[in-house]
Amino acid sequence: MTFGALDIAGIQAGLRDGAFSAAEMVEQMLARIRAVDTQVHAFLEVTEEMAYAAARLVDAAIAAGAFEELGPLAGIPIAYKDNLNLVGTHTTCASRMLENYQSPYTATAVQKTLDAGAIPLGKLNMDEFAFGSSTEMSAFGPTRNPWDLNRVPGGSSGGPAAAVAAGMLPVALGSDTGGSIRQPASFCGVVGVKPTYGMVSRFGLVAFGSSLDQIGPFARSVRDAACILNVVSGRDSHDCTSQECPVDFLDSLYGGVAGMRIGIVPAFLEAPGLDAEVKTRIEEVTDALRQLGAHIVEVELPNARAAMSAYYVLGPCEAFSNLSRFDGVRYGYCASGHADLSGQYEASRSAGFGPEVRRRIMLGSYLLSSGVYRKYYYPAQQVRTLITQDYARAFETCDCILAPVSPRPAWKLGEVSDPTSMYLADMFTVSINIAGNGGMSMPVGLGAASGLPIGAQLIAPAFHDQNMLRVAAALESVYGIPPVACDVPVARGGE
Amino acid sequence: MKSLQEVLRDWEAVIGLEVHCALTKLETKMFCGCKLEFGAEPNTHTCPVCLGLPGALPVPNKAAIESIVLAGLATNCGISKRSMFYRKGYLYPDMPKSFQVTQGPIAFCMNGYLDVRMEGEAANERVDLPEAQGKDGVYIARIGIQRIHLEEDAGKMVHIGGGEGRIAGATHSLVDYNRAGTPLIELVTRPELRTPGEARQFMQKLRQVFLALGISDCSMEKGSLRADGNISLRRRGSAQLGVKTELKNINSFKHLHDGLAYEICRQAEMLESGGEIRQETCHWDPGARRTIVMRVKEAADDYRMFPDPDLAPFDLSDEFVECVRARLPELPDQKAVRFAGDFGVPDSDARRLVERQDLAEFFEACMAFAAEDAAKLGKPIANLLLNDVQATVSADESLDLAASPLSPTRAVALARLLIEGTISTRQGKEVLAAIFAEDKDPDAIVEERGMKQVNDATAIEAAVDAVLAANTTQVEQYRAGKKGILGFLVGQCMKAMEGQGNPRLISQQLARKLDAE
Repeated sequence: MTFGALDIAGIQAGLRDGAFSAAEMVEQMLARIRAVDTQVHAFLEVTEEMAYAAARLVDAAIAAGAFEELGPLAGIPIAYKDNLNLVGTHTTCASRMLENYQSPYTATAVQKTLDAGAIPLGKLNMDEFAFGSSTEMSAFGPTRNPWDLNRVPGGSSGGPAAAVAAGMLPVALGSDTGGSIRQPASFCGVVGVKPTYGMVSRFGLVAFGSSLDQIGPFARSVRDAACILNVVSGRDSHDCTSQECPVDFLDSLYGGVAGMRIGIVPAFLEAPGLDAEVKTRIEEVTDALRQLGAHIVEVELPNARAAMSAYYVLGPCEAFSNLSRFDGVRYGYCASGHADLSGQYEASRSAGFGPEVRRRIMLGSYLLSSGVYRKYYYPAQQVRTLITQDYARAFETCDCILAPVSPRPAWKLGEVSDPTSMYLADMFTVSINIAGNGGMSMPVGLGAASGLPIGAQLIAPAFHDQNMLRVAAALESVYGIPPVACDVPVARGGE
Repeated sequence: MKSLQEVLRDWEAVIGLEVHCALTKLETKMFCGCKLEFGAEPNTHTCPVCLGLPGALPVPNKAAIESIVLAGLATNCGISKRSMFYRKGYLYPDMPKSFQVTQGPIAFCMNGYLDVRMEGEAANERVDLPEAQGKDGVYIARIGIQRIHLEEDAGKMVHIGGGEGRIAGATHSLVDYNRAGTPLIELVTRPELRTPGEARQFMQKLRQVFLALGISDCSMEKGSLRADGNISLRRRGSAQLGVKTELKNINSFKHLHDGLAYEICRQAEMLESGGEIRQETCHWDPGARRTIVMRVKEAADDYRMFPDPDLAPFDLSDEFVECVRARLPELPDQKAVRFAGDFGVPDSDARRLVERQDLAEFFEACMAFAAEDAAKLGKPIANLLLNDVQATVSADESLDLAASPLSPTRAVALARLLIEGTISTRQGKEVLAAIFAEDKDPDAIVEERGMKQVNDATAIEAAVDAVLAANTTQVEQYRAGKKGILGFLVGQCMKAMEGQGNPRLISQQLARKLDAE
């Protein structure tokens, strides 16, 4: 039995029919993680005891004939990006600063998956504090792309993307501030959804850019991603930026695209740095959608070109403030032996944070300082308003926008070393966080030249995330669900 | 050093206050559900939110917003329809997020004022106002309020091993986060106070208002009400502001007055000797009676303020503001006017009465009980409360008037005995003391002690005749024009009647007989 390729429905059918028990499944999946993850390094912590405890509850429920009562994720193995708090685990954010930090409480989105019956398998690697696009910035070593171990899985949610792609898990939760779910999903050939800002509670997500961050699912199928969204979305009294979300994302999933208006942004396809392979694939996808009956319309996002600039003002400002709490006094890395407080702060933060974190903190500190603040922060907020208006206008003429996710497929480890080139990886994704809309990456096959996964980005009007999921499901019917990444040795134990 | 009054003849003091008031009457903290409780075991009222743990998010306390809107309405402020919370960055272990959530350029309450009545000695400090001078000097100072904003308090640091809990010489420091996240309102006045007396009176008035609103216990001792004073001097007639110093964390009205008075004199001496004032922060040492410099400000602090992205801007509806306005209680000034108008209490007594909430509430209960006699009993009861009762209550801190043996019923009964002339004023004091000591009704006490005042004209005349006969020298002095001797003769009559004669009737009879013969 290969659990790696099973989706939510497959696992639940197997459990319900008694093809395998939850405990057996957990044992197999842990064995696969042990075998595969020595090379992929998606996991920072495997929660074996928690997994078995949850599995026992599932098996007891099955024995009592109460399986369905466990909830929509009954028996589904899941893991979480390591910036999501879960009691009983460390929440390190892949940083030395929080290497020994144990979660004293559980994030709302995580708790919702557990309440829905999911089985927690562990915590997943990421760029330190989610600053990065390759997961090479993890203080605990990079994650590798299961499609090619010499390549990066993207980032910052490289761990969740790689774990799902490699069949270590059917689903995982990550977070996206400027593309951190969509870009790794595209690099690893899985579905990754950044929901509309406010759709999923951020309570318990270690903040990077509070006005940009959003938690979302990784899955191999659109249906599984929609299942997770159904569970984690909705208003949370602990997050006053969260909102009610009465939509059932499974309802309209297979409604097809006939009659839907799909927007394309010509300027995106002419962007310098866009790989020909990616451009060609997006054009093919456009044709495929047209053949499925969608109306293709051209839309303009004239201010989207300023999105990167605004993002690299707003993001670092918020990050500077959010990370200022890590002073090593109450928890976290503390450099001892300093006579004065400021010396201790400086030493703790210099040693506890990696280079990219320090870079963004310094940038944010500068941007918020008096005199500078007005020159950058205000214009960035104005750009934000303009981009939000651009999207609102575009969605008057279309139901969903199709765009590239990343200008190029996964690159080799160490290949992109200067920060600004790395930042360009997010050129097609950040404007969605700036505007707050929903966006997702949908695998649309492998590149003709590279043989690497390519993702198409689907963008939805705020709180109409069902639109993009519906288009994604239509594309899934064309391109199929990608296979479990095959470039890694798969443990065959138990088969 | 010159005296304050001498200094103020040449210099004008420009004083502004920043007042912090913890909203202690709320159930929970500003952004989480932790209980507000002073003096609890350290770090027992904490959670991920007020500890600033990674991933925690703030949720604003609606009741705190109602409280600040109340404070704004009571101090004639405009209520901002739209305002935001900002993050104010500073790294120190008492602030677990390393930023304080406070408000930006637009606070919930903007541009208000409070009228402060200045009289007596405190008024005399205004050497520039003729009407403020002399024994009966009175003036009203209208103090502008720039803004009142809502913010969260920091945790409490305790430094161990140094002197008096100070950080200097301490070996280690402890932090109690029970206070972290306590809702605070900060009121900033315009620099329109001109004397230490005005500053003190403003604070006292503000405290009365906040107590009446029921938003805080306003305890300066516990630190729930504290003030910082900014002070600078300029030559009389000059419009240019001088360099200011900041007096931090004043926790009593007297210290505020004395600290400001000292700073005014110190600055004047410095300026007159050709020196310059440094922009510094200091605190008042009441023992040494001088200010001590805490730090010198070289450049403005950079708090890197920006709107808190976790908290959406507030849009207060007219409906919300009107709901809060409907909850506005009667304020001390309004109450004083009513006490004077409805119950015949003299203006000055009415103002003193409303200064203390317990006395005002007790008075109110008495008036309700006195019913149709309220107008008649208002003045004697106010008198009773302001003199004897206030003295008794002030002398014993543990005594809660509302729970004491002196019930409004008993106070009204006592006042009736007094105005009906059944007992004398002196006997009244004795009866009051007995009520507190023995927990009995006034009538019973009067009965037991046989204290009834003698109003019988014949009995009084007998005593008067006897005294006049026995004091011929004094009678002659009186007739020679020394009218003041009458008091002595009244006293002799009272003594002869064992203190029970009606002094007013005695006095009348004495005068009649002395003037007639």
